[in-house]
Amino acid sequence: MSAALEVSGLVKRFGGLVATNDLSFSLQEGESLGLIGPNGAGKTTVLSQIMGELRQDSGTIELFGQEISALSTSRRIQAGVSRTYQIPRPFGDMNVAENIRVGLMPDDIWKLIVSPPDAERERELALSVGLAESDLLRTPSELAMGDLRKLEMARTMATAPRVMLLDEVFAGLTAGEVAQISELIQSMRKDGMTFLIVSHDLPALEPLIDRAIAIERGIMIAEGAFSEVMNDKSVQASYLGSV
Amino acid sequence: MELRWFHVVLWGGLIAGMFLLPQVVSNGTLRTLIFANYLAVFAISWDVLSGRTGYVSFGHPFLIGIGAYTTAILTKRFDVPVEVSIPLAVLFTMVAGLLVLLPALRIRGSYFALVTLAFMELLYQLVQVIRPDLTGGTRGMSGIQTLTRGAANGYYLSTALMLCIALSMWLLMKTRLGTALAAVGMNEESVRGSGLSTTRLKAFAFLTSAFIAGLGGAFYVHYLGSLAPRAMFDINFLFTIIVSALLGGTSTIVGPMIGAFFMTCLLEYLRPVLPGAERYFVYGAIALILYMYQPKGLVKLVQLTSKA
Ligand SMILES: Nc1ncnc2c1ncn2[C@@H]1O[C@H](COP(=O)(O)OP(=O)(O)O)[C@@H](O)[C@H]1O
Ligand SMILES: [Mg+2]
Repeated sequence: MSAALEVSGLVKRFGGLVATNDLSFSLQEGESLGLIGPNGAGKTTVLSQIMGELRQDSGTIELFGQEISALSTSRRIQAGVSRTYQIPRPFGDMNVAENIRVGLMPDDIWKLIVSPPDAERERELALSVGLAESDLLRTPSELAMGDLRKLEMARTMATAPRVMLLDEVFAGLTAGEVAQISELIQSMRKDGMTFLIVSHDLPALEPLIDRAIAIERGIMIAEGAFSEVMNDKSVQASYLGSV
Repeated sequence: MELRWFHVVLWGGLIAGMFLLPQVVSNGTLRTLIFANYLAVFAISWDVLSGRTGYVSFGHPFLIGIGAYTTAILTKRFDVPVEVSIPLAVLFTMVAGLLVLLPALRIRGSYFALVTLAFMELLYQLVQVIRPDLTGGTRGMSGIQTLTRGAANGYYLSTALMLCIALSMWLLMKTRLGTALAAVGMNEESVRGSGLSTTRLKAFAFLTSAFIAGLGGAFYVHYLGSLAPRAMFDINFLFTIIVSALLGGTSTIVGPMIGAFFMTCLLEYLRPVLPGAERYFVYGAIALILYMYQPKGLVKLVQLTSKA
């Protein structure tokens, strides 16, 4: 059986900086993997390469056994992988329902013209991430950070991914919001979603993942169960060093 | 965003009102309104591309000019009937639009504006030097076949053209496609991150914009009966188009229409007072003040007053 996501020998350089240095890992279907590391370790860069927003210098990325490195971002999303952003990127002049509508759109101009939006599905997605009915007509500027992250989740889920990459899902959230998002992720895990989760909030991350990998300066320094990774000497050194 | 009864009433009222206008106004006013109609067509064309997707074109006269020159040359030099030359002109304009599209797939912002401006300047130079026997060179062309006689008929034709384009664009932009194009203007990366090919969306916006510009340019030249490169590629003409869309309200259809009528009337009523190019200073100032006061355009002001 092939993995849901398999990254091998990934290298990405920015000038002299090696942001991803020969990184390999894989994710089985239904598994949830945590990706941790200090600021600037290269976590976001890994997600961007999986999505094709950045092209790796070398290495391969396979999604359900298919090499996707040559595909555009939209094709990769159609192949079943989708991500959220560290800084939410909503469409500023559109309300919540319209933001989700864009996520639901088929990549087909003709269908966009002839088939109307599915307001019921938009509403369903908004409610499923914990947004309120009354939020549907709000614009992003009227939403708190927690709701922006929920909107980001909803728009990502709208693309019907089988693998979700979450970047710093808990950044800027209140304790209550962290609990809500955690609950959402847990229920999606039960439904079989595969996750790669980047987070600085380690206590919040721990219950959400089966396994973790730690990277520093683009190099993998530890891999295994969350507690093993946290007890690893180089991980502790890198976290201490970064504070 | 389905159709509501008041949409039908408003459009019906607008169409009826515009077609009844020749009963009450003078021929001189009608001639002014003909220009307003064509300006509205060009402003809608500009807005479909630049207002929606945020790719600001400074070269729309390039597209309009291709449409106008193609049909003018075909009818005058080769005796091609207008029924054939106008569709060909539109087709040529769309092909030319594709040429502009190529650099636009990679660049955005001020570079895109500069590239489109360069295309316009290039065409301006080309029509003057290359085959002046066809283009009429620096002096342009006259005696081009006209489609209508008299101000009223010219007004009816331009009104029909403008309303057809406005109504079909309005319907098109109410679909999810309109939402997708607006999304490109707000955050192109997030559109890609939603699984959509932005290249295809942009190509659609470009081609639609070129289609309208070519159609408008072709009809316009067959109304004027003459074609002067200096007027066609005048920077003031370009700015009048852009300011109409900005002033009326971008990313809408009614906005560029209102803007075009406002700009045309403003320029016309300033003419007796300020006959020269100073007029453009005045409209620049008015545009700036209005824009600072209400950046979403006149259409927003109308909506606000009707709600109050
Ligand atoms: N587009 C880019 N160009 C140049 N350097 C970049 C770019 N993106 C990220 N970097 C650098 O790569 C390193 C890893 O960044 P990033 O992946 O954002 O880290 P993390 O998400 O782990 O905090 C950082 O040193 C960052 O400055
Ligand atoms: Mg990051």
